[in-house]
Amino acid sequence: MSLKLKALLKSPWVFHLATGSCNNCDIETLDCLTPRFDIERFGILLAGSIKHADVLLVTGSCNRMSAERLKVLYEQVPKPCLVVGIGSCTGSRGLFIDSYNCPVPLDHIIPVDAYIPGCPPKPEAIIAGVVKLIDKVGKG
Amino acid sequence: MTRDQVLRDLQNRFGDDILDVFQKSPKRVYMGLKPRAIAWVGEYIFRELGARFNIATGTDTPEGIEILYHFTLEDLNLMLNLRVLLDRENPVIPSLGKSIEAVNWIERELMELLGITFDGHPDPRRLLLPDNWPDGVFPLRQDYTEWDDTAIRTRGV
Repeated sequence: MSLKLKALLKSPWVFHLATGSCNNCDIETLDCLTPRFDIERFGILLAGSIKHADVLLVTGSCNRMSAERLKVLYEQVPKPCLVVGIGSCTGSRGLFIDSYNCPVPLDHIIPVDAYIPGCPPKPEAIIAGVVKLIDKVGKG
Repeated sequence: MTRDQVLRDLQNRFGDDILDVFQKSPKRVYMGLKPRAIAWVGEYIFRELGARFNIATGTDTPEGIEILYHFTLEDLNLMLNLRVLLDRENPVIPSLGKSIEAVNWIERELMELLGITFDGHPDPRRLLLPDNWPDGVFPLRQDYTEWDDTAIRTRGV
């Protein structure tokens, strides 16, 4: 494993990005970061700027307006970076699959490393997803 | 004024413009209007009666394109819904956005999603749809069909 990736897994800084979600996934993500679940004790910290982030937490079904901004933001993340799709919308666009404003799923816009299904996923599921992702990357 | 006085006052002033009045409940009254009358009736309800403008909603119905302007008279606990029906081929209505600031954005939204032309709107730009959206395609019309060849509509399983 490269030194960069090893350093990344020690304390991944996450950037939270909502691409037109209904905000339930955002609330659950926020629950993970606040004292009850407190994933900061594992070194996971919410970054204020995309240029400080190692992991991109994406929620929502990627509409036409936000897809362009998503691409621009993905270009600004320092590489290597990991992308996590939270919620059913990022996986399959959920019930918005036939919407005029959601033409393609998330993985046709940027590469995605892990999906956390659920509508919305519980904070436990989000933590489990992050742990699985770290394990996967750690094993190479 | 009481609820009945308000309704009688509107009937006296704009009797020619009001097509029908439907009192759904003590809190809610629907009022059918001629499309061009919305300019002065809406302004009268907002300025003189002191109503609050909640929102306007548009629907593509079999009879034509319908807009509901929702006004609330909070002192009377009364919701006035002004209903106008527009021709589907040529939906044109005078704009309320030049006299009531809050109507500005919802009219822009109705314009791009349902293809209604608001005559005299101060800022007729798109609000929600992206710039590469084709002209003349209105997503909330009943006859909307997919125009984007690159769109994927399967879940891939």
